[in-house]
Amino acid sequence: MNTTTSEQLDLAERTVRETLGLGADEVSVSVSQGSHTTVQRRDGKVEQATEATTRGLSLSLMVDDRYSSHGTSDLRPEALTQFLTNAIAATRFLEPDPDRALPDPALCGRGSTDAELDVFDPAFNDYTPADRSKTGHEIEAAVIASGLDNVISSSAYIADGSSQSARVTSTGFAEESHGAWFALGGETTLATPDGKRPEASAYYAGRYLSDLPSIETIQAEIVRRAKERLDSGPMESGKYPMILLNQVAGRILGVIGGPISGGSLHHDRSCLKGKLGESIGSSLFTIVDDPTIPRGLGSSAWDGDTMMAKPRTIVQNGVLESYYLNTYYSRKLKMPATTGGRSNWVIPAGDQSWQDLAKAFPKAILVTGFLGGNSNGVTGNFSFGVRGVLLENGVPTKNLSEMNVAGGVLDIFHKLSAVANDTWTFSSTRSPTLIFEDVQFSGT
Amino acid sequence: MHTLPPERWFEQFGVDDALTLRVLATATQHGADDADLYFEHSVSTSVGLSDHKVNRAHTSVDLGVGVRVVIGDQVGYAYTEDLSEVAMKRAAAIAAEIARDGHASVPPQQVRTGKVHDFYPVKRQWSDVGVSERVPLVREWESQAFSRDARVKNVQVGLSDADKHILIVRADGTRVADYRPMTTAHVSVTSSEGDKTEAGGFNLAGRAGIEFFTQERQDRLVDEAVKRSVDALHAGAAPAGEMPVVLAAGSSGILLHEAIGHGLEADFNRKGISIFADRMNSRIASDEVTIVDDATIQNDRGAINVDDEGSPTEKTTLVQNGVLKSYLHDRISARHYDVEPTGSGRRESFRSTVLPRMSSTYMESGPHDPGEIIASVEKGIYCVTFSNGQVQIGAGDFAFYVRQAYLIENGKLTRPIKDVNLIGNGPKVLETIDMVGNDLKIDDGGWTCGKDGQSVPVSQGMPTVRVASLSVGGQS
Repeated sequence: MNTTTSEQLDLAERTVRETLGLGADEVSVSVSQGSHTTVQRRDGKVEQATEATTRGLSLSLMVDDRYSSHGTSDLRPEALTQFLTNAIAATRFLEPDPDRALPDPALCGRGSTDAELDVFDPAFNDYTPADRSKTGHEIEAAVIASGLDNVISSSAYIADGSSQSARVTSTGFAEESHGAWFALGGETTLATPDGKRPEASAYYAGRYLSDLPSIETIQAEIVRRAKERLDSGPMESGKYPMILLNQVAGRILGVIGGPISGGSLHHDRSCLKGKLGESIGSSLFTIVDDPTIPRGLGSSAWDGDTMMAKPRTIVQNGVLESYYLNTYYSRKLKMPATTGGRSNWVIPAGDQSWQDLAKAFPKAILVTGFLGGNSNGVTGNFSFGVRGVLLENGVPTKNLSEMNVAGGVLDIFHKLSAVANDTWTFSSTRSPTLIFEDVQFSGT
Repeated sequence: MHTLPPERWFEQFGVDDALTLRVLATATQHGADDADLYFEHSVSTSVGLSDHKVNRAHTSVDLGVGVRVVIGDQVGYAYTEDLSEVAMKRAAAIAAEIARDGHASVPPQQVRTGKVHDFYPVKRQWSDVGVSERVPLVREWESQAFSRDARVKNVQVGLSDADKHILIVRADGTRVADYRPMTTAHVSVTSSEGDKTEAGGFNLAGRAGIEFFTQERQDRLVDEAVKRSVDALHAGAAPAGEMPVVLAAGSSGILLHEAIGHGLEADFNRKGISIFADRMNSRIASDEVTIVDDATIQNDRGAINVDDEGSPTEKTTLVQNGVLKSYLHDRISARHYDVEPTGSGRRESFRSTVLPRMSSTYMESGPHDPGEIIASVEKGIYCVTFSNGQVQIGAGDFAFYVRQAYLIENGKLTRPIKDVNLIGNGPKVLETIDMVGNDLKIDDGGWTCGKDGQSVPVSQGMPTVRVASLSVGGQS
């Protein structure tokens, strides 16, 4: 059953009315439908093709100050009524938590129009299986023709999808959204003299098909990554400057995400509790959460609580300026609500290339990828596996793997000493390459 | 109460044998080497406690069917949440496009029921357990956690469960149905002492009903959560660099999962992209090392009666006394290698196609006493609790994260350390496992394995082992 956005809005409104009629005091309903297609090619033929439309309904409700949330993909009318009845009955067994009530309607609504967000590419409607097949062939051919030696296997990946959703609350919010996305990339696996079969891949995602890179760019990126995987190994443990490549910078930036979330703050699981207004990084460290970026992968008109989405400075010149506080945790913490979760993170760029900046260091480690690892939001400590390249005065001298990087949330960003000019736009983390000094790496 | 047996479960949604045959006929209209319909209906519930209240619950219902058509090693896949004949035939026609240039297969004329094991009997399905029965359990775990140690300041508790019914109808008309329960409980504790605050948690999981939560398990759930939190108050930073590592029995099976388990999934090998691709029947570890993947452990989180393409499950010996003996096969790779499937074809849901996956992966016990293994290390670390891991299949490099560990100095455990990533290369590390303990323990935590965007429940186990050298990602 495919539904239009207006049919989704109608279903959401009917579900709100039905849930209230069954005894709920408040309810928020989201109805969504999406479609997606993926085609993977490997070694000259289609390896897997998947196509589907998907749908679902989710809701949260309050009964006698008690809260619960629910989701279902069984949208048959009789099944939905039984589902709602069961949901309300289950909620009555819980204990009251009135802070879960819906947000003040005055804070809710659209922060941007669909036209401003521009997250649906009209080209999506004209993107045909033949187009996907052609692009897949081209990527695969480019990977094969990349000139790499001892290639075992090459593959290409093409995916796209669209989503439509309607959100209605019993406090008067009723909006629809519509978006699309495209992704493509490729991978190659090489045989190396040491018996390893290192793989190198490059994937890109965007809201508009025309925003994705050319086949030549994808090819060049795969070649670059493949060459970095040859003859790699660990180097001596020690403290080195870390040049954190733009496309993987989110892994280190993300270590502050947990500690600045409302849940961590409320439950005393945050090393950044009480740090609002304090310096947590160097003057180069700035993060802006911006859900209004046109064509942004994390852009949206409203947040999870239906509050108007708007840009918000998280860290400004090293000073922590905002936490992520949804309605619930803002009430628990008795602080003004901000928003419950990340949209697009924007880290302002500098004016030099990382290659130029790297020349200043006799030895520095260019981190190009991560492998495993984790962080402790209570202490702020993190430890991640890394791979990359040793640079000596900016010149690559050794490919690195089987190494770890370790540090702490409370000191790593003070070590941020330079920001390059190469903002990565194929992710909701829009960061340039970042340079940190005196970072602990472990290897041999 | 549920009166329908698993093989008739989907009749309540209008799905009968005749309908499945018509959909299969559409799926195989252009021919197929293999095809299947995978119906799924799951109902899950979770309740959570925080701020001293059981103050949230979540329920979800998922219903749908996936249609798969296989030509050689090529797969066409489509799914729908709409179980009407029109919608299912539309999905089947999309999946059939992979064989567009082929010729129609002869569809089966009738279905026949395949046999399944019974590795997870339950006294009551979770759908027959009210929220009112779950709430007192959660509340009791919180109360017990606060009573264990005065340093406990904050406790959060969760209990999740699910009833999943699946029905697989294969291209030859074989029909296999299964009921799959699952439950997971977790306790998270924050403790303070002076100006130090630390968090720790513990979880338990099983493919089981509410009777899974015996008094012993409930006590262990609380004890371990509190212990991990308060022990961390006195744990210091880990060292950095290569050193001997002793892995405690139990959840250190994560090393096997990452260092070798994924690399032995046969899809990577038939494509030639696993570091183990050409190493069948060759020595890859010492004589003491025997590794199995076992889907048959009763009520284990990784157990499955039948895999997600209808093949019977088993205990598969992957490495026998150091020699590589088998990959984990789905039906595609089994045809490729001309062997029987190992019952390892799994998928996250009807929205996902089948991949060879692990179930419960563990190393059999060896000859050494655990104390003897620790005593053999002059300077290294002893790792006790773990979280996530990751591997690069082709290069063989893998990592896993250690939550709690101890420094070993002159054969003795000295100071506690925490939060450190360990990294190594799978084949190299396997070769350097030089002592295997006699204390195999299967961990009953809530482990979940990710691959190609799909998550499936697994478990793992290990005796105490010594690895001669791993890179430890500490801070000093």
